[in-house]
Amino acid sequence: MPFAKKPQVFSAKINELTLGTGDKATTLGGQNVFNLYTFDAPIANRPKIGIDVSDDPDQPSAGLAEFYAGCDTLAAKAAKAAALDNVDFVCIRFDMADPNGANKSVEDCVADAKAVAEAVDKPIVVAGCKNTEKDAELFSKVSEALQGKNILVLSAKEEDYKTVAAGASLAYGQKVGAESAVDINLAKQLNVLITQMGVKGENVAMNIGSAAAGYGFEYVVSTLERVKAAALSQNDNTLQMPIITPVGVETWGVKESTAPEDENPGWGSAEERGIDMEVETAAACLAYGSDAVILKHPASIATVSQLIAALM
Amino acid sequence: MALKGLDIFKLTPRTNCKDCGCPTCMAFAMKVASGALPIEKCPHMSDAALSTLSEATAPPMKTYKVGGLSLGGETVLSRHEKTLVSKTLYAVHVCDCMDEAQQDEVLSKLSLVDYERIGERMYVEMVYVNHNAAKASAGDYAKLVTKAKALGRPLVLSCTDVDAAKAGVEAAKGADFILNGATPDNYADMSKLATDAKVLLGVRAGDLAALHAVVEKLEASGNKNLILDVGTASIKDAYANAVQIRRTALKDGDRSFGYPSIVNVAKLAGGDAHLEAALLSLFTCKYGSIVVCSEMTYAKALPLYGLRQNIFTDPQKPMKVEPGIYPINGADENSPCCLTVDFALTYFLVSGELERSKVPVNLLITDASGMSVLTAWAAGKFSSSSIKKFFDEFDINNKIKSRALIIPGKVAVMKGEIQDKLPGWSVIVGTTEAVQLVKYLRDEEWKKSYVDKSAPAAAAADGSAAPAEAPAPKKVVKPAPPIVVTGPYMIDDKPVTYKGHDPASQTFVTIGERIHCISPAIRRAMDSYDEGPILKRAAEQIAAGATYLDVNIGPAESNGPELMQWAVQLLQQNFNNVPLALDTANQKAIEAGIKVYNRTNGKPIVNSADAGSRISNIDLAAANDAIVIALCSADGIAKDNEERMMHCHNMLERGLHLGMESDDLWFDPLFLVVKGMQDKQMDVLNAIKLFSDEGLKSTGGLSNNSNGMPKHIRPIMDSAMVAMAMMQGLTSAIINPCDQRMMETIKSCDILKNHSLYADSYLEI
Repeated sequence: MPFAKKPQVFSAKINELTLGTGDKATTLGGQNVFNLYTFDAPIANRPKIGIDVSDDPDQPSAGLAEFYAGCDTLAAKAAKAAALDNVDFVCIRFDMADPNGANKSVEDCVADAKAVAEAVDKPIVVAGCKNTEKDAELFSKVSEALQGKNILVLSAKEEDYKTVAAGASLAYGQKVGAESAVDINLAKQLNVLITQMGVKGENVAMNIGSAAAGYGFEYVVSTLERVKAAALSQNDNTLQMPIITPVGVETWGVKESTAPEDENPGWGSAEERGIDMEVETAAACLAYGSDAVILKHPASIATVSQLIAALM
Repeated sequence: MALKGLDIFKLTPRTNCKDCGCPTCMAFAMKVASGALPIEKCPHMSDAALSTLSEATAPPMKTYKVGGLSLGGETVLSRHEKTLVSKTLYAVHVCDCMDEAQQDEVLSKLSLVDYERIGERMYVEMVYVNHNAAKASAGDYAKLVTKAKALGRPLVLSCTDVDAAKAGVEAAKGADFILNGATPDNYADMSKLATDAKVLLGVRAGDLAALHAVVEKLEASGNKNLILDVGTASIKDAYANAVQIRRTALKDGDRSFGYPSIVNVAKLAGGDAHLEAALLSLFTCKYGSIVVCSEMTYAKALPLYGLRQNIFTDPQKPMKVEPGIYPINGADENSPCCLTVDFALTYFLVSGELERSKVPVNLLITDASGMSVLTAWAAGKFSSSSIKKFFDEFDINNKIKSRALIIPGKVAVMKGEIQDKLPGWSVIVGTTEAVQLVKYLRDEEWKKSYVDKSAPAAAAADGSAAPAEAPAPKKVVKPAPPIVVTGPYMIDDKPVTYKGHDPASQTFVTIGERIHCISPAIRRAMDSYDEGPILKRAAEQIAAGATYLDVNIGPAESNGPELMQWAVQLLQQNFNNVPLALDTANQKAIEAGIKVYNRTNGKPIVNSADAGSRISNIDLAAANDAIVIALCSADGIAKDNEERMMHCHNMLERGLHLGMESDDLWFDPLFLVVKGMQDKQMDVLNAIKLFSDEGLKSTGGLSNNSNGMPKHIRPIMDSAMVAMAMMQGLTSAIINPCDQRMMETIKSCDILKNHSLYADSYLEI
């Protein structure tokens, strides 16, 4: 029996979600096949790459410190980051707003965000400081200040989805990222809750959780695969939102990336280890179902975009 | 892959000749499909049909061993469906087109990455020895193969030139190797070479159709020891081929692609090290069996081997972290210690809150088989003995100078026992929830309960602000009080009496689960021999119609036998000898309980044995003429029903050998949580059918299926589950009888199964 090609094309598809405005706008999702399976059907929107820019002056590697040298403000950093080829959107992260840390005020964050919007013409994603209350206020105020820019706030969680979805999307028409921690049932539930509030499913992206390779990454794998399988093979429209996975924030914190060279002499350059950790984790996320990854290092971005281009 | 009756029917002669003893070919096909008749019963099946049948029942992907390394044998495309069995192997590429110095460098660097990660050796498993016919001779190739062989790792000889391959194979003799060199042009010669050398033959071709055609020819010639090269035309093609080969084999059942794969990312990356790292990751995910790179550095290896270790794990194993000391917020040997279990979710929650507190703390993680705090405690996996063992194994007394040990508030009852076993430490009961830890640590609340054990006189700390915690008293084992018989127990002014139970009745047996030490009220009552809460729960369950009551006394390390005897007599004397399931990890307690047990309404149940470390509970049941709940698992959840039935039969055999009746072994398939294992629910239900078909009784913690669901959902889910399970033949369940919806469903099912006679008021009796 000769080989019979049986493309796995579904009647369902992943929602298309557009971020930003004008000719730099970028669209995620839209495919009716599993991620990267261009041999089953053409994929109109290739997976996208965001760059993660924190307001924290400390950088996790010497290379990143060098890259951002001379950039004193978040806007300057974001402009430098956005100027990289192959960056589809910029994710600004307000680490300094954490009330348990520097506790930067919401007003200062809003001012930063406005300056970023002035300096950058690529789409903007806003990440908070992981403090639920502070983030809720921050997202709402930044959404107001950047009205019309079609930004995405990352993210609404089980604890704060009401204020975040209302503040960002219902009030100011921004896109919402729904964040759950590698739990497919919770991922679905959160999307149901957010859409029940009146936010359209087309305005929602998902962050189903992430981890660095080797650090419980199997749960990321299975959640990504199961979400995509439910979305496409069961036509579950509560899970057809495109998936954005922050990779850099996870990978640049593990010892494989940060341990100084003298600690394990055989390991070699920390910069190289950090890049490969970020690249390999991102490649795995893309293989299993992420529609966009958010990375930190310019070298990782160059490599991952090369990989995506080669597969399209 | 089992064939359906209709598929078999299509292969029969369809003459209805009745030579097989069946009235029609259709009837015969159905019997073959169910395993009732062998296909050979039909004397008229054609050879082609027979070979199609044996093809169809063969595993979808071949399994091979090369030098002790496993290749192939996968049955699923995704790890959540079933464990992926053969991890991706890595090879480093060396070529006879390189000059000798280069070759030596590649080979010497190949051994640089070699380390251990969570019990697994991480290294380059294979050497990929390539022949470039344009630049090197057969002799050059043989020389390189000899050199590579010296590394002592299995080789992949990549060579499409037949003469060079012969030289290579000759040089490789004595080593384990694969010959990757068959093409549409040379496959006959190459196949002979590989077959003679008894090695796997790698096959490559221009596209999938051509590859499939060559494989078919090789198979027709009798060679089914193959491995498929996905090619190096482009990254896109290689990926498309890798995915489609595996998918065609596993999803479409095409055995000609049911072979492992080789991916040469060294070639695909074209010298770009970061791109090579990306490709190593990509093809580890999907679906490279052997992935070849130009060089393995630590930068590439650290994430890659971690990724591989993650992907090729059992998806049903509870998420566990390694036991040990985890210093948080820069903790050192003088920082206080927080103790908890190795369940990953517990760890992430607790460590997250500890980090948020910014207080330096040593988090101590003990081995509790990946269970949560209370579950582990109830199962005897998180006990003063296990904690003591952990302290000894990890040499905590010498590694840490602080003597403050904060234990989870949920297991406050263990404090005395831990204090006894760790006399130098001040055992402090911490918060019941992880989120409370931030404030607890920041405000140094724990210090209020801290007692300096090194000081001669116990400095009674300021107890005023810490009402819950007095300085640790030595645990006093209280003697059990005399049994209190209260007279008829009243609920809503009606006396609660146990109606009795006929052990021979076919009606469904409910085992009430509400007397369980995981409940704080019961835990406190057990700790202080307070009969009130225990009698109350017993009465509620009996009034609701429970057949048996489960009595879980926890691990009860210090007073198990006494406590169990007290509980058994208390319940039986107050409630007309209600039959009981004795539930504890403490065997002595079960034995003691049975000694005072009254059998009027049925034998005692030993809850529970399994096919692993708790198998001796079967012996205990046999020796005491008790029923035993036999969990069909050994270490962790069975991966499929084949494994469940293997455990079932092992335990059945053991029980029968010890003189038990098969009716006294109640098999528990282990009900699984829908939130997390939704795709395994039908497996569990089918296991019940398998027990039932063999005439065996079954039971289990049925409401586990709805664990974690909102309160108003659980009865709905549980009722649906019990109805489906009773349809499959479930004979008993450990449930909450106060769930009216479930009890009504059970009674209705008993009517439909004709186990009890219908009357309009059947729900009320």
